[in-house]
Amino acid sequence: MKFLLARQAAVLAAVALLPAAGEAIYFRNNISWRSAIAPSEMVTVDQARAWGDTAIWVDARPDDEFARDHVPGALSLNEDRWNELLPQFLAVWSPGKKIVVYCSSLSCNASREVARRLRKEAQLSEVFVLEGGWEAWLKKSR
Amino acid sequence: MNSTPNAQRPTLNVELATAAPASNIKNRTANIIWRILDFVLAGIFIFAGLSKILDLDHLMADLQNLQFANALTDLRNLSLANPVEFASGVDNFKLLPWPMSVALAFYLPWLEIACALGLVFRFLYRGALALLITLIVVFTLAITAAKLRGLDITCGCFGHVSQNWSFPSHLATNLAILAALLALGISNRLRKPL
Repeated sequence: MKFLLARQAAVLAAVALLPAAGEAIYFRNNISWRSAIAPSEMVTVDQARAWGDTAIWVDARPDDEFARDHVPGALSLNEDRWNELLPQFLAVWSPGKKIVVYCSSLSCNASREVARRLRKEAQLSEVFVLEGGWEAWLKKSR
Repeated sequence: MNSTPNAQRPTLNVELATAAPASNIKNRTANIIWRILDFVLAGIFIFAGLSKILDLDHLMADLQNLQFANALTDLRNLSLANPVEFASGVDNFKLLPWPMSVALAFYLPWLEIACALGLVFRFLYRGALALLITLIVVFTLAITAAKLRGLDITCGCFGHVSQNWSFPSHLATNLAILAALLALGISNRLRKPL
């Protein structure tokens, strides 16, 4: 009886694997298995630097970390003071400018969330998340 | 001594003859009710699965506004939903690493649909019930754990439909589904086939 139950459950679990694998292959370019950001929405330090003045750097870390140090010319825009900081950011932004959002490291979520909100709430399109965040910037700047 | 059992036998036959159809009707009615519950639960899980695979937002909005003509157009133009959204929903629970969240985002909707079809067609029925009970228990534990840890989570359990559900309504829905699944599991062991 228990064996039959387990066998039936295993068959169903296996059946569901097939369409799931198909969907994963179909969306292989839209989702990253390494991080929560799609590859097309990420940018490396070198790529972002190459954009020069056409890019606006956004620091999604908390205020105290921004005050300690940040990418030269970066604007602070974190979720703690979103409503206060967003208008300041929009005043600086102009159409055609690329936005590079970063937080502390590869594993932080703040840049992802700020980028998502900029796309959704501010309706901005060219928003990118800096791969490796502030740590990657520091490494490249040494 | 011999006359007593012989005299009782016709009486017993008559009783059985009248009791049997009544019992059959009762069984049939019970079976129909359980089958309806099968379909209702299957519908819930098929909707839960599809809401994660397909972009149903426009369709749902039109159905809610009773704009059936627009809903038909949306039905023809249904597109696949971006799995990033559901993967982020799973990731928000902070229970699993990101690659596992992605794997579940692809796998869970299809598992829900496969099990729901098992209920509809009574194919691998017990396995389907066992899996659905396991899933709903895991979902309930996950949302409870998230609540206890103070996480503000928008669960994608039923796509965007459940986005604004409060924790109590979420918990109540899950427990109701669990109770219905358990009732089906118990009844399935007792009921006779239609």
